[in-house]
Amino acid sequence: MPLSDPFASALLDLLPRLRRFAAGLSRDRSEADDLCQATIERALRNRTRWQDGTRLDSWIYRMMRNMWIDEVRARTRRGQTFIAEELGSDIGSDGGQEAGVMLGDVDRALATLPDEQREAVILVMVEGYSYKEAAEIVGCPVGTLNSRLVRGRDALLARLGEAA
Amino acid sequence: MTPTPEQIAAFADGQLEGEQAAQVEDAVAQSPALQAQVAAHRALRARLSAHFAPVLEEEVSAAHLRLLHPKDDTVVDLASVRAIRKRRWTWVAAPALAASTALVVLLRPAALPEGYAQPQLAGMLDRQLVAEQDAGASQRVLLSFQSRDGRFCRAYSSPGASGIACHDDRGWKIESVGAASHEANEYRQAGSVATIMQQAQDMAIGPALDPKDEQVARKSGWRAPR
Repeated sequence: MPLSDPFASALLDLLPRLRRFAAGLSRDRSEADDLCQATIERALRNRTRWQDGTRLDSWIYRMMRNMWIDEVRARTRRGQTFIAEELGSDIGSDGGQEAGVMLGDVDRALATLPDEQREAVILVMVEGYSYKEAAEIVGCPVGTLNSRLVRGRDALLARLGEAA
Repeated sequence: MTPTPEQIAAFADGQLEGEQAAQVEDAVAQSPALQAQVAAHRALRARLSAHFAPVLEEEVSAAHLRLLHPKDDTVVDLASVRAIRKRRWTWVAAPALAASTALVVLLRPAALPEGYAQPQLAGMLDRQLVAEQDAGASQRVLLSFQSRDGRFCRAYSSPGASGIACHDDRGWKIESVGAASHEANEYRQAGSVATIMQQAQDMAIGPALDPKDEQVARKSGWRAPR
């Protein structure tokens, strides 16, 4: 669907990936849609700040990631826990056989990760960014990104029962 | 050298370079325990990317489109659930019977709940629409249907095995496995694609899903309609 505006056209091409990233960060799909919508709006408003010749995807991913962090912090200030009760109901149980199976769902497992680990896991393992690119999006050193990623993966492997 | 957990993960992700990559590679080559860790990292990655892959194929939401098309009153047709039309089962049978039965080495299976589809197969069952797959694909979905207990089920054929899997809260539960899988002992041996098709027909409450119904089902994450 060609658009006369090349910036909007490039955004449209990125949209499926942006929705996937939003889905990876968010607790549910409606939250992901909201995050995606807010990101598109902000990108359109700030389009003059994007430097031609630099990667549009990293620029917008960084924007989405920052908006998500802002939202998470605002929610924490309002006193809500990040993990919905329904998701958290099994968390912290004794890890018996049945509980392990109950948690054998990717969404639930991701929901238990601290935000910094979750974003590292999603950027590298779902979005396919290199450690360096992911570190730039998050705004941290590569080594920090690497260790957050390892902690996140270890937690996921333990929860999803794929640990060797 | 003993690689750190960070190095093992980075190695599994192909993120190490030069001398460091060579050192970790050597260490991994000598240690079955490290090999298992690398395999677990890769299996996790495959599972995560398969989990989110269907999002890429969803229709663009009308709200998002309007932002990008401010003057254009584009209306996106949001697929509505339609009554399942009567269909003959035979329309899927021909390509199914022609499917390849060559053997390949299976990926190391991850420890999912027993009896559930592994990440690669699960990813295909999540995403692949019958109407959109390549005629020559070695791994393919033969047809989709709703079982008598309401679950969405899909019959598939791959070089390793053919079978039927039904979706529930934990993933794709393998209900039946055909020839060519050495793990098939616990399941009813179905023998051939033709038998799989027969079993599908026996399990189904109605006709096979047509392309539109299949799309709607995929959109719902293959969750059984209430």
